[in-house]
Amino acid sequence: MLSIKNLHASVEGKEILKGINLEIKAGEVHAIMGPNGSGKSTLSQVLAGNEAFEVTEGEITLNGDNLLELETEERAREGIFLAFQYPVEIPGVSNLQFLRTAVNAMRQHKGQDEMNAAEFMKLAREISKQVDLDPAFLKRGVNEGFSGGEKKRNEIMQALLLQPKLAILDETDSGLDIDALKVVSDGVNALRAEDRAILMVTHYQRLLNHIVPDYVHVLAGGKIIKSGGRELALELEERGYGWLGIKDEETADSSAN
Amino acid sequence: MKPAPTLSTAFLHPAGQSLPEPLLALRKQRGTALVDMPLPTRKTENWKYSSKYLKLTDDMAISLPAEGKTGSSLAVPGYKVAFLNGVMMPEACEYPDLDGISIKSFGDLSDDEASDLADRLDSTLDNKAVQMARLNSARFEDGLLIRLKPDAVLDQPLFIVHEVTAEASGSAFPRIFVDAGRHSQITLVEEYISSGSAQVMVNTVTEFNVAEGANITSVRLNMEGENVQHIGSTGVLQQRSSRFESHTVGFGGPLRRHDLQVRLEGEGAECKLNGVVVTQGKQHYDNHTTIEHVAAHCNSEETYRNIAADQSHAVFNGRIHIHQDAQKSNADMNNKNLLLSNGAEIDTKPELEIYADDVKCAHGATIGQLDEISLFYLVSRGIGRREANVLLTMAFINELVEQIPIEAVRETVQGRLNHFFEQAFQEA
Ligand SMILES: Nc1ncnc2c1ncn2[C@@H]1O[C@H](COP(=O)(O)OP(=O)(O)O)[C@@H](O)[C@H]1O
Ligand SMILES: [Mg+2]
Repeated sequence: MLSIKNLHASVEGKEILKGINLEIKAGEVHAIMGPNGSGKSTLSQVLAGNEAFEVTEGEITLNGDNLLELETEERAREGIFLAFQYPVEIPGVSNLQFLRTAVNAMRQHKGQDEMNAAEFMKLAREISKQVDLDPAFLKRGVNEGFSGGEKKRNEIMQALLLQPKLAILDETDSGLDIDALKVVSDGVNALRAEDRAILMVTHYQRLLNHIVPDYVHVLAGGKIIKSGGRELALELEERGYGWLGIKDEETADSSAN
Repeated sequence: MKPAPTLSTAFLHPAGQSLPEPLLALRKQRGTALVDMPLPTRKTENWKYSSKYLKLTDDMAISLPAEGKTGSSLAVPGYKVAFLNGVMMPEACEYPDLDGISIKSFGDLSDDEASDLADRLDSTLDNKAVQMARLNSARFEDGLLIRLKPDAVLDQPLFIVHEVTAEASGSAFPRIFVDAGRHSQITLVEEYISSGSAQVMVNTVTEFNVAEGANITSVRLNMEGENVQHIGSTGVLQQRSSRFESHTVGFGGPLRRHDLQVRLEGEGAECKLNGVVVTQGKQHYDNHTTIEHVAAHCNSEETYRNIAADQSHAVFNGRIHIHQDAQKSNADMNNKNLLLSNGAEIDTKPELEIYADDVKCAHGATIGQLDEISLFYLVSRGIGRREANVLLTMAFINELVEQIPIEAVRETVQGRLNHFFEQAFQEA
């Protein structure tokens, strides 16, 4: 489904990704782990098409199509979904309006009729229950004044509404208490499907206790330095990143210089 | 050095002789005072950014003929008064005889009523600050006098449509005078529209006398075409414990200017001034507001938003003057501006003059662009770029549009905004 070959990307002239190779097939769940600053969010943002990040080399294809030629909104309509590490607050746009506009943009792309306000409200209420968000939040501004956990649940709610082909979850587990972690991972597990791939980006392995990945990759200094099965995550949990010859935090910077 | 340009004498000849004698006399006297009136230039402080848009050529001096049909765009429940080129059109008006409320054209006033009005016209405005209001006083051909007796309540909004027909160049001088008695209440909407395409000017004055405890809601919609220069002034005089709320929504033009002056003269008076302005193409819009805190214990709250696209130019100047005796004044002024293109310009200036020592006065002005990160978030959900721009731009003014008290007006405004968005954000 997704194929990344020798991907290099930089931001503000500084190279962050230095040759990423990754193949993800439909139905698979991949986890990317790595210390802070290793380029996990950069990879996620590049996949979603954030123009602040410049792809300098390499290719990305989605089901054979060149992803790099597509605008962000076109990628979304082709089934790429990114749950942001830091979801954006947009006061003045209600959640309901935001979600309905997004769902209808997707439906229009697929040649389906738009959902009217009443139909959508029903669907939105159901899914907000699934992620344990009070439906009252639908009336509030997008992520406005949401707690960290509520923002993450709102991201999962969007994934459930938009039914992507590839869901990229950037640190969706960070800042969650045990209960919220359960809600979020139930949501992610509900997304698992034969025709869908999931790419989980995480610093910690605790999410992987709830969502068992098929593959685990370690990203450090802008490269995938090790790949394995889920046992790799457990090993990282036990031994930290040190045994792989990388240090947390400074990694990206020291290798960039 | 060149002498400062003065108002052409062509502007000193009013049309319409059917007004009651006291008003004709007043008009004549105001006209005499305009001889050699200097025109605003770049050096005139309160016209600094806008004088270059003002074109008072002699062909503008002609009075537009008061004939033809009006075609208001507001299909709304409520009472209606229609003016065409500054003259009331009785056949297009719809309002019943109301207890304690009198709605009359200046032309229908008795000599006594007219004499009383003549004594009070212009009294709510600082004429030095609104030079162009003086032109209206010398040229008005008709006007609307609204009087509310104490405790009178108008049960539905009153829509006053001011239309200009621009078949040929010229000007119109609409005028409204509101006398709201103690504890009376009224909501009125002034809608300014145009038809035709010749270059014309609309020069308006609206005055509100708000007696003790009276409550006024005023909506002003500037919806005229690209051929209309609009120069309007509104004066508000508020007595003890009265309340004045205004919602100004304006779309740009070759020249758009509105001066709003509020004087809080009685203790406990309160005003709330909201404004939304959008400009595009090469349009211009200039709002100048002044709030005079004269008495103690008054509150003022002002929120204006400008959105400028393309090469357009918006101006906001907000003055708050807290007089020496106005202790315990509470003033809050906020102006936020959104530039939708690199070629657009917005000039904003808060002016605070505070002579009392025990006051609360907050002000803020910002100029920014649409937030890239918010935009990315929206498009990453499949929302088209154009629609994402619209959502974020609406987010900037939603709060003010939602506060407009009449649904039909909100819909009219939204319709015009949608039109604006279509032009401002082309599909990539
Ligand atoms: N917008 C940006 N501008 C400048 N530097 C950035 C930007 N985004 C990320 N970086 C830098 O890129 C590196 C990788 O960051 P990131 O991808 O966020 O790492 P991770 O998600 O693995 O913690 C860091 O050194 C970070 O400072
Ligand atoms: Mg990150």
